[in-house]
Amino acid sequence: MHALDWTIIVVYLVYVLVDGVRRAKGTRELEGYFLANRSLPWWAVGLSVMATQLSAITLIGTTGQGATDGMRFVQFYFGLPVAMVILGVTLVPFLHGAKVFTAYEFLERRFDARTRSLTSLLFLVARGMSCGTIIAAPAVVISAVFGLDLVWSVALIGVPTVLYTMIGGVQAVTWVDVKQMVLIVVALVAVVVVLLVRLPVSPDDALAIAGAAGRARVFDFSFNLNETYTFWSGVIGGTFLMLSYFGTDQSQVQRYLTAKSVDEARSSLLMSAYWKIPLQALVLLVGVLVFVFYLFQAPPMLFNPAHDRAVRQAEPGALAALETRYGTALAGRQAAAEAVARERDGGDGPAVTVAIEAFKARAADAETIRGEALALAEQVTGESSRDVNYVMPAFVLHHLPLGLVGLFIAAVLAAAMSSIAAELNALATVTVIDFYRRWVRPQGSDAHYLRVSKAATGFWGLFACVVATFAATLGSLIEVVNRFGSFFYGSILGVFLLAMIRRARPVGAFLGLIAGMATVATVNFGAPAVSFLWHNVIGAVTVVVVGMALSARRAAPAHPTA
Amino acid sequence: MTAHPTLPDAGSHRFRRTLLRVMAVQVGTLLLLWLLQTRYTG
Repeated sequence: MHALDWTIIVVYLVYVLVDGVRRAKGTRELEGYFLANRSLPWWAVGLSVMATQLSAITLIGTTGQGATDGMRFVQFYFGLPVAMVILGVTLVPFLHGAKVFTAYEFLERRFDARTRSLTSLLFLVARGMSCGTIIAAPAVVISAVFGLDLVWSVALIGVPTVLYTMIGGVQAVTWVDVKQMVLIVVALVAVVVVLLVRLPVSPDDALAIAGAAGRARVFDFSFNLNETYTFWSGVIGGTFLMLSYFGTDQSQVQRYLTAKSVDEARSSLLMSAYWKIPLQALVLLVGVLVFVFYLFQAPPMLFNPAHDRAVRQAEPGALAALETRYGTALAGRQAAAEAVARERDGGDGPAVTVAIEAFKARAADAETIRGEALALAEQVTGESSRDVNYVMPAFVLHHLPLGLVGLFIAAVLAAAMSSIAAELNALATVTVIDFYRRWVRPQGSDAHYLRVSKAATGFWGLFACVVATFAATLGSLIEVVNRFGSFFYGSILGVFLLAMIRRARPVGAFLGLIAGMATVATVNFGAPAVSFLWHNVIGAVTVVVVGMALSARRAAPAHPTA
Repeated sequence: MTAHPTLPDAGSHRFRRTLLRVMAVQVGTLLLLWLLQTRYTG
């Protein structure tokens, strides 16, 4: 990589650190440190909400998914706008109006301490581990691409983020998020422009070729519970997932609790309602255009450089034979793609159809050979050879112009850091407010809690970096924890829904939460093929039904006390 | 346990207007995606 690109990355890291640390002056009390004294404008909170949700994997993994699988992943977000509007009139006024630090604090006011403690404990366990995976995912890619040791990749992402979050609190998280979000969008738009300029065919022909390879398919209207991305799982399951994430996950709730007023908090969520689907479509479109680009520029057969090196060393003869066949198949695929563009320009309908069919056959040939190479890589390395996350880094490093390489890598770092910072800030808030101040030392001074909060942020940062460093060895454990997380996401939403029902009682909320998690766990193990998007629906509905049934049983017969 | 919260006045008129606007933008986006699929997927 050129010195200019390294300079851009270093300037970005230094700027983020300085900008975050200088926010420390507005955080001399606990409310300033965790909630920015509820003073932030809607647009800053809105950009922070979006930046928190958009992780590095969105930039490198989702673009790779666009290149290999097309646009259909966008269906995952179809429930988001509806969820944002629902939250705007239900939970947001409750939580913002209750003047709480955490979403779980509200549950004690409404129900009891055990419901608050259980939900906040579930959040700490799941988010603590997931924070490690948020660092690990891009760090693993960075270390494979640059040949860096994983510890250094983790440090590159983790250390500046922990420092500015620890020193600057939520003000630093939000204002740095604003700049990071702008950087991410600028980098994405720049990549689209470069791709369109560099493609040897018109954008119209490029999309037609992508469509012939199945990359322009967006909608799947089949009602199949086992298929993760369908229109219905996106609209129904996605709505519940987004309600859970934006309504009950402290890393998101804390963003809009910093807004000046309920109206500003609502407006901040609506920003995502308007822009999330178009932004996600743009990310996937980048991937689709990268796929078309690689029809005219020979792509690597194995995108993961570490796997490429390993196979080259262990099986040089087999790899060379595959590369020869792959080269021939790619030449055939390129000629077929050019024929599609030529026939479309000629305007001859039947000839276009013939050209498209020929292209599909040549593309399938190339895919078959690549499949053999991936199987060989799996055999040699003993690990999954799925290389979706390496498609975009390969394109960025070898085909983007000078300067833009650094800009895109800075955007990937920004996406990772914005998500991690919000998580660390939320983990520290829940640790201090829902556990330390609630159970350990209820009468401490504000200055004392502030010191403990900074220490808690540092602790969670260190914990996340350690988890990320041992991500490979902790792989199965992390998967278990992530799976465990999906057991209770919808169930916690169910508790918050109960909180808004007048007749719901504490016993119903607590036992309903346990019933919801048990039901989802049963579905997960009993019918593992059911897509995880439906888990949230099942969990939330179970909690509400069981919670209301138990509340009705326990309700006083004549005049229930509130 | 404190008193249960009552649903705040959400401003139903303004909510309907916002909902309509958000839905209009989404319908427009989905239409564009639908056009992309029908035009380019054979």
